[in-house]
Amino acid sequence: MTPQVLVSLLMSAVGSAAGAFAVEQARVLSVSPSPAFWVAVTLYAASAACFLLVASGRLQLRALALGLCAAAALAHAVDIGWRGTMRVHPAQSVREALGFLAFMLAAGYLLASLRYRLSLAGVVLMPLVLGLLLVARLTPAGEDSLGLTALGRVHISLATIGVATFALASALSVIYLMEDRTLKKKRFDTVSFREKGAPLEALDRTMHRLVWFGFPVFTAALILGLVWGSERGAGWDRPEYPLAFVTWGAFASLLVTRTAYGWRGRRSAWLTLLGFAAALLVLLVYLARRVGS
Amino acid sequence: MGELFVVGMSWRTAPVAIREKLAFREEEVPGVVSHLVAQPGVQEALLISTCNRVEVYGVGDAAEPSARATRAFLMAQRSLPPSELGNALYQHHGPQAVRHVFRVASALDSLVVGEAQILGQLKSAYGVAGQVGATGPTLARCLERAFGVAKRVRSETSIARGAANVSSVAVELATRVFGDLSGKSVLVVGAGKMSTLAARHLRSAGTERIVVTNRSPQRAEELAAKIDGVAAPWEDLTAQLAAADVVISSTGAREPVLTVPIFKKVTKARRWKPMMIVDIAVPRDADPAIGELDGVYLFDIDDLDKVVQANLAERAKAAEHGARIVEHEAVQFEGWLRGQEVVPTIRALRDQCSHVAEAETQKLLEAMSRRAYSPEERAQAMHHLTQLIVRKILHLPTTVLRSSEGETLQHRVEAVTAMFGLTVPLAAPAADLPGAAPGAQGAADSARALASLDDELEAEVAADLAAEERSPLARVASGGAARNERRFREA
Repeated sequence: MTPQVLVSLLMSAVGSAAGAFAVEQARVLSVSPSPAFWVAVTLYAASAACFLLVASGRLQLRALALGLCAAAALAHAVDIGWRGTMRVHPAQSVREALGFLAFMLAAGYLLASLRYRLSLAGVVLMPLVLGLLLVARLTPAGEDSLGLTALGRVHISLATIGVATFALASALSVIYLMEDRTLKKKRFDTVSFREKGAPLEALDRTMHRLVWFGFPVFTAALILGLVWGSERGAGWDRPEYPLAFVTWGAFASLLVTRTAYGWRGRRSAWLTLLGFAAALLVLLVYLARRVGS
Repeated sequence: MGELFVVGMSWRTAPVAIREKLAFREEEVPGVVSHLVAQPGVQEALLISTCNRVEVYGVGDAAEPSARATRAFLMAQRSLPPSELGNALYQHHGPQAVRHVFRVASALDSLVVGEAQILGQLKSAYGVAGQVGATGPTLARCLERAFGVAKRVRSETSIARGAANVSSVAVELATRVFGDLSGKSVLVVGAGKMSTLAARHLRSAGTERIVVTNRSPQRAEELAAKIDGVAAPWEDLTAQLAAADVVISSTGAREPVLTVPIFKKVTKARRWKPMMIVDIAVPRDADPAIGELDGVYLFDIDDLDKVVQANLAERAKAAEHGARIVEHEAVQFEGWLRGQEVVPTIRALRDQCSHVAEAETQKLLEAMSRRAYSPEERAQAMHHLTQLIVRKILHLPTTVLRSSEGETLQHRVEAVTAMFGLTVPLAAPAADLPGAAPGAQGAADSARALASLDDELEAEVAADLAAEERSPLARVASGGAARNERRFREA
């Protein structure tokens, strides 16, 4: 799958989700976004466009794309800070958490870019960040956020951090799979070859370190989520439970197979993607419930 | 100020059989260069002698004869008859020479376009020439500009990107898989010449350990000694494969040596740690199917070649861009050179004019010191002085203009008009003259008419000048005239 196809798929998925939520805008409450938020959205969009051009072969736009991303992340941080002064916590609700997740992705990507050429990851991540941000903006805040317990907040914070880590790991997995394919199929004229991205071994290693960090955090979030759910008297038949366990299972088996059998590379990359996809579905379930309630 | 020239031969014009005859050893170069600048007409020179080119960059009074002298000098150095060198030696003068130097420095003229080695060689050749005092302002400026151009071409184009030979491509591919190669180990299977080269490249890229294995243990030992590695028995192949990150294979076997069953074991033993196989043997040593296994990256000789070709194509594209940069810079450099050429003329012109002004003022001051002048007289004297200075300065140009005819006259009238920004009114009577050519003739006539208007004053100045005929001023003036005349003719 070429990066362009991936991106357009992502964009269309995000677009339809955003459309569904747009009609619910009337129910949006809480604090309206600061101008910095819209600056960030514009800059992320510009950065995403630049990365697409880079992927289509205009490698010289790379610096511009990264610069735009950095500026966007800065504006985003300003918005989060400003909301903080309005007593809106990043883990106040799924909606805030989504925005925060987007921020962590952008920041993590920028940090990783200091070391490696990761334009291909940018092609995947920037639209994702943009989409998360818009989805977060267009989702109703939900009434129960007012009665959020400390347990709930910790659950949301940890889950956000865990999923953000997994998201970065999946971005690296996507690059890994693309570069692996390029080398195996000997496609020496493609962008992923000419771009001279991060070496396969480094990608694999970083991906694993991220999972090692994200897995305990996510596990803790999972347990706290269960406790929180049972406190509120929620049933066991909620669809996010099996999905969350798919995520947990994917990453758990990744770590086990790596440690016990030395699995790595392609197999690990696919497991990471499976886990992250399930995590995204959990988030979509939450959002759908908000809209439906 | 001399003119630049280039004399030499390169891989473009001469096969190695001829290049090697002319090539100079490193220790010979300083002596040769100092002899070169002792040649008549050669002011500055440097000699660059590499395996792909032997060239002299020089500055001479006039490029053509200086280049010819250099050519003869080079052949005499090696006692080579002209027939031997045939058409191998080329020479460039002036603007072409500048372009050539820029192209060479930027590696646009190299056998492998963009190969950076030449810049270092050129820098050291320039250093050597400087040490024996063979460089001067023109060559210095040209070379320094050439280094600047080379830097621009390297940074603004992708001319030096991508490995350009099979061995470095193997290294490049290895870095795609492993990143840093330090701590990686290499296994050389079979002891061919190509594998030696590739192993050397990998060694210089930082790999830690090189193991050589071969059916004949003796050959393995030999090769291992040559590339600073260790030999391993052929029977241990599977174990060695499991321990290696990069495998270079070039056995003479008819059947694949690296087979799927072996590699299934090997990858499992390695816990699927990535490994790269470079199969440069023909017929191939590796079963293509092992490239499908997880963590195995297999490249055969065609794959490597494909990368080389792609990189070279990329470089060729970049070279076009580089050529545009060279052209732009060469034009700028010529502008600078021309500026340098005209500097002495401008200086002489200024000196001459201020000399006239100074002399006349001095004369007047002397006269005024002899007796008291009334204010009116003083004003008149000042008026007279300025007129006199103007006329004296213009005397020679006017005379030259008057005495010239035909095309020369036309050129001079145009030059004077342009230089002084004159607006010459059309002389009406000139147009009535039968057969008078419009334009030049008319302008000349009007100049003549203008001159006759103040013939009286001219006569005065002429008398003045006659009185100073043997004075230094007159000599300077007439020398200037001769020089001016030459300039006009060239223009």
